[in-house]
Amino acid sequence: MAETLLKIEGLKTYFFTEAGIVKAVDNVSFDVRKGESLGLVGESGSGKTVTALSVLRIVPKPGKIVEGKIEFKGEDLLEKNETEMQAMRGREIAIIFQDPSSSLNPIFNVETQLRDVLLAHEKISKEECRKKIIDLMNLVGIPEAEIRMREFPHQFSGGMKQRVAIARALALQPTLLFADEPTTSLDVTIQAQVLDLLEELKKKLGMSLVMITHDMGIIAKMTTRVVVMYAGNVCEIAKTEDLYEHPRHPYTALLLAAVPRLDRKKKLRIIPGNIPNLIEPPSGCRFHPRCEYATGKCAEEPPVLEEVEPEHFVACYEWKNISLKGENH
Amino acid sequence: MIPVALGISIVAFVTMYAAGDPISLIRAGKPNVDQTTLNALRAYYGLDQPVPIQYLNWLTNILQLNFGKSLYGGQPVIYIIGPKIWPTIELQVVSLLIAFAISIPIAVNSARKPYSKQDVIVTSFSLFGVSMPTFWFGLILIIVFSFTLGWLPSAGAVGAAGFLWWGNPILDQIAHLILPVAVLVYVSLAQNIRLIRANMLEILRSDYILAARASGISERKVVYGYALRNAITPALTFLAIALGGMIAGAPMTEYVFSWPGLGRQYVQSTLNLDFPTIMGITMIITVMMLIANLIMDILYVYIDPRVRIR
Repeated sequence: MAETLLKIEGLKTYFFTEAGIVKAVDNVSFDVRKGESLGLVGESGSGKTVTALSVLRIVPKPGKIVEGKIEFKGEDLLEKNETEMQAMRGREIAIIFQDPSSSLNPIFNVETQLRDVLLAHEKISKEECRKKIIDLMNLVGIPEAEIRMREFPHQFSGGMKQRVAIARALALQPTLLFADEPTTSLDVTIQAQVLDLLEELKKKLGMSLVMITHDMGIIAKMTTRVVVMYAGNVCEIAKTEDLYEHPRHPYTALLLAAVPRLDRKKKLRIIPGNIPNLIEPPSGCRFHPRCEYATGKCAEEPPVLEEVEPEHFVACYEWKNISLKGENH
Repeated sequence: MIPVALGISIVAFVTMYAAGDPISLIRAGKPNVDQTTLNALRAYYGLDQPVPIQYLNWLTNILQLNFGKSLYGGQPVIYIIGPKIWPTIELQVVSLLIAFAISIPIAVNSARKPYSKQDVIVTSFSLFGVSMPTFWFGLILIIVFSFTLGWLPSAGAVGAAGFLWWGNPILDQIAHLILPVAVLVYVSLAQNIRLIRANMLEILRSDYILAARASGISERKVVYGYALRNAITPALTFLAIALGGMIAGAPMTEYVFSWPGLGRQYVQSTLNLDFPTIMGITMIITVMMLIANLIMDILYVYIDPRVRIR
């Protein structure tokens, strides 16, 4: 088993809004190993993005990390001061956002935006900087880098913009990269290109990749291990194959059944109900109001993750009593 | 720009004639002047002709930079207006620069901590500024700082009859500027702060700010380099409009402080129905506004690359 790079333990990130405290991430624990591709999957609002932002400690106001431990290379990130954190961001841990047209500053050209990142961490000469920027743009497959680096984000297509965003994230060769739904806002054909690029770069640079998505197809293609999140909690962690073959958590099974398949005649299932209000989440297991297997116990106390077979963790009281269908059944 | 200037001149010309007859004003002072003299005066100034003809005459003259003669004292208009352009520009530019210099840091800080104590105080203080009449605030300042405390001059742009405030020509200028500038700045502060604050609030929430933070760029650079540059663009548009408001709003301030500028002359000429002077000032202000707008448009291209035409 590979070394642990990032270890999140009991992370709680709450948003203190006027309507009440939104428990966006509530007691989340998982780890990311060196060089692996981990999937972080769940519906919108399940806390995937907030988890990533918490690791970088850039949770926007009124959000705040309330409790927990985020160990990166053995050091607790929550104990670092702002200057130390600033040095980590971009250099050790980087993130790519969902929509490249809003994650690039519209009024600076590409060269300036990449240079700002480089110069924030390294003291290098203008010439070196220029050379690095051209190398970076070549790395992410933007042709005619010398010309295009002087252009502004609005002069790039969606896929090219995401490549620029990837170049910015990889500028300092971070050891951990969060990709927050990096292809959701792109055309399907471009999606495949960007995913291939990410996979290739991950291999080339030997970094760990955390793929945040709600797309089970991307999870199957890109990852070796998966963390399933629901309403701010982790409900299942498993190797990707195991998860697809025999999911243990009812929510995971429903997620898998909700993927449209062209190759077989199967009714597409939807998950009844909505993601709960996180100001007053359901008691006990947060999924129990939508779960067909729920018993009285589920509403009383939240289940904890237990290892049901090697490398397969699930937070469900009923896992022994139910048999769930995986992808191929 | 030229059609705009023409349009404004026509509108001003027509409304001015609706205001009254300057010649009959003579009767108000000298009731004994007979009708023949008045008619002769009307003919002399060309006021007996139909308005469109008068407008065309005026236009031909103005295109040769001939502003005509004042109906009030007979001086060429250019001599009345000429020396008053600079004091107005001085007052406006100083106020504008100070207003922006003050409002930007205040607005940025308010946006970084929205609804904090500082934000609430600043917002209500500036709201008070925009709500109150300029002349009233000007008078209060004069009463407090000139008459009661005797710290600052109450009128004019330079010390009268060899008396210099604070004993130096430059300091004297500054002393005279303080009160009128204070009024103009306070009045425009609210709009500036509210506008920049609102823009900053929105932009600080945007993805590219989060992305900039996530790349380890320093907070200072994120706020002032990334966010403010984006927030200032709409503020510039507003500035171009505000400039018009300031030039139009300045007559009251100039009048209260007896500032020897275009605004005060405007008020006086209007009371005298001195048509050539009113038209002369209107045209000067129009041209100043149009030039200001042009400068803003050019600045825009430098600040926001998206408006560049490829």
